[in-house]
Amino acid sequence: MMKTTRRKFLAGSTAVGIAGAIGTSALFNKAFAQASNTLIFAAAGTVTGSWDPSSHTVAPQITAEGFVFGRLTRCPMTPDNPGEILPDLAVSWSQLDEHTLEYKLREGVTFHDGKPFTARDVKATYEYASDPSRPASAWYPGRVDVEVVDDHTVRLNTAKYGYPALNFWYVVSFLPILSADDVANPETLKQRPNGTGAYQYVSTNGDQINFQAFENYHGGKPAIDNLVWAYVPDANTRVLGLLNGQYHLTERLEPEQYVSLSNEAGIKTDRSLSSENKYLHFRCNKPPFDDVRVRLAVCHAIDRSQVLEVVGEAGQASNCHISPVKFGFTDVAGYPEYDPAKAQALLAEAGYPNGQGLPEIEYITSVGFYPKTREYGELIAAMLQEQGFPIKLTTLEPAAWEEQLYRRADGQGPGHIIDVGWITGSPEPDLVLRPNYYSQFALVNGISDAEIDASLDKERGATTTEERLTILQTETLPLIAAKAPSISLFSSVFLRAMTDKLDGVFFFPNGPIDLTQARFV
Amino acid sequence: MAFAIEFFLRRLSQGLLIVLLVAFVIFTLLRVAPGDPIRIILGPMATATAMEETAQKLGLRDPIPVQFGRFVLDVAQGDFGRSFIRGKQGGASGGSQDGAMDMADRAPVMGLIATALPYTLLLAGLGLVFSFLIAVPIGLAAGLNAGRWQQKLGLYVSSLFVSLPNIWVGVVLIYLLSAKSGLLPAIGYRNFAYAIIPAIVVAVEMSPVLIRAIAVSIASNVQEAYFDIGQVRGIGRNRMIYRHVLRNAAVPLLNVFGAQMIGMLLGGLFVVEYIFSFPGIGLLTINAVFQRDFPIIQAVAILASAVLVLINILVDFASTTIDRRLKF
Repeated sequence: MMKTTRRKFLAGSTAVGIAGAIGTSALFNKAFAQASNTLIFAAAGTVTGSWDPSSHTVAPQITAEGFVFGRLTRCPMTPDNPGEILPDLAVSWSQLDEHTLEYKLREGVTFHDGKPFTARDVKATYEYASDPSRPASAWYPGRVDVEVVDDHTVRLNTAKYGYPALNFWYVVSFLPILSADDVANPETLKQRPNGTGAYQYVSTNGDQINFQAFENYHGGKPAIDNLVWAYVPDANTRVLGLLNGQYHLTERLEPEQYVSLSNEAGIKTDRSLSSENKYLHFRCNKPPFDDVRVRLAVCHAIDRSQVLEVVGEAGQASNCHISPVKFGFTDVAGYPEYDPAKAQALLAEAGYPNGQGLPEIEYITSVGFYPKTREYGELIAAMLQEQGFPIKLTTLEPAAWEEQLYRRADGQGPGHIIDVGWITGSPEPDLVLRPNYYSQFALVNGISDAEIDASLDKERGATTTEERLTILQTETLPLIAAKAPSISLFSSVFLRAMTDKLDGVFFFPNGPIDLTQARFV
Repeated sequence: MAFAIEFFLRRLSQGLLIVLLVAFVIFTLLRVAPGDPIRIILGPMATATAMEETAQKLGLRDPIPVQFGRFVLDVAQGDFGRSFIRGKQGGASGGSQDGAMDMADRAPVMGLIATALPYTLLLAGLGLVFSFLIAVPIGLAAGLNAGRWQQKLGLYVSSLFVSLPNIWVGVVLIYLLSAKSGLLPAIGYRNFAYAIIPAIVVAVEMSPVLIRAIAVSIASNVQEAYFDIGQVRGIGRNRMIYRHVLRNAAVPLLNVFGAQMIGMLLGGLFVVEYIFSFPGIGLLTINAVFQRDFPIIQAVAILASAVLVLINILVDFASTTIDRRLKF
């Protein structure tokens, strides 16, 4: 009697356990699949500890700010028309003289905290955020004075700081407008974002940020009521969450994920050229790359078409140090092409025939941040070895790589070649060119070249956009290609996927997402 | 009673030494490995001066033994410090170059761990329940039926499970049970159902050890003379199994449980939580490693080694109460 009971108990408890598991699944099934007017965005990155946009240069937070803050203008940055400017908080703009731009502001706009938007807010924001002590002042061409003409007219004046106001022409589309009251109170500014954008901040809960549609958004309340920013570090998890319906939208797909999701029912993919180029920077202030001939020899030793084959959907060919969605882009004449004979000639001329006498050259790259860096790193290392470069490839995870990336206090950076991308959210080319190639900064490569500096100053000093375009395309960019402080390998293509029920989403080439016209169908 | 007091005093003091040693190794490795947390705290464009100032302020430029001494003193007072990266609301941050970093804005490590711990305990508990549900019937059947199909089944199941990497099992189960069939939710945590698939992955990883241990330990007892003698004396087979075999088999099983399973469980949970974005200690720790968030990594390492040490002490104590001949 006793024995059968226990045996039955054992069998029974197993059965109950399994039944229980199945039972709960049925019970909870509805909870995760239920439809609601909430968009869950599985993000690959997250925000910093401060909501003050002038406190950081972090790409994921710029994407988050894209939902919350308004800007004077809006640049969709399409390859067909990189210079296109559309109204946002400003309805019209004009150049009054070399040092003055005037913006007419939209009326009837309110901040999320209910205060009206006026010229006072533009003045407070620009004068605060362009102060060189602010960490993100790098986005500003320099300091600026803002004159409040009336409640809805402002003038940006750069006369006191000695550069043309035209430098703001494109950058304003990238500079979030804060409330003057918040600027006066930096603690509040840090605690929560308060903008004029389509979504207002609600709360942060661990790795999840909640936003809701702003009733009084000047473009009309968006159709999607709630937006959840879910930080999901693993790329596979983001894709699986999209497949099982827990997420509606995800970013930064690997090329293979993009291809397989393209054939998946219920999912649609999006592929768009970004404002990022991928570079190999040479450490120009130490041998052997202090010699331009050795730098060019490397450029001619790399077959970029093979690199692009490895990168697949995530890259697009371009022969220029800025992306095709940037103002000034051109297919640079004389951009170094794959030419082993030329590489050999340059090496011989520099005193390293067949690479003999070259020190070991360390090529540092990252894995897990940009697509395929390890794979094409190995390919490029092999191409360089073929030409006699004694290459050592060092592959690091992102945190260790980032530590190696920038030059140190002594001006030197580790290794000799380093892989990096550079992305900014405005058609303005100087956001790429000055930090990377102007001697005073040259954050990664350490180039110090008077001719490049003079050319960068010349294009910055142009007084009309047409003149500036000509200088950039015929002088500055060809000069940078000829001096090769870095080689731009290709332009990045951003790969995203979303549920096919989601319509009307617009992606900016630097990451931010416009949901003002988005809806679930 | 005297034995128990002496046992715990001796073992706890040994354990403390082990935990201190682990803490020191982790502490040192973190600081000599490449990847400067200051770069992540202050962001890519921070100036060298700002970086140096922050590093000084956080004490990261002092000699490692000095830093460690300070850390141990704080921990002794129950203070594991504040996260380098995470803000007060728990969200990961980084790159806030806003002047010198204000540590008061950062989340206390113990708070972060306390928030994450219940999720990990739920997942670990459910994972253990599932692995017992798999392993006990299979292991018992295999142990009691040496040389028959039940034993082969035990062998095959455990060989199969042991050779499946948990990352793969996780991805496949999410795909089949969640993405394709929509039976269960899988990613993140909103209710109990979110723990089921990750717990199955944990169970698949842990059950092979358990199946083998149960089968071997039961089989060896069944082959011993006392098992047959008992039955000759008129005690029924099942009564022998439940009263004697299981009790004798329990000691090695407890050891497997304490020494191997808890270690495996801790390691497995890290990977599983990461794949499933399950908001427990494992995900917290893996993100902390990526972000060089030293205070979180240190605290988790210390707590994990303390838990392992404590469980081993308890297992040894339980073994001595089951079998009085044992002395540890």
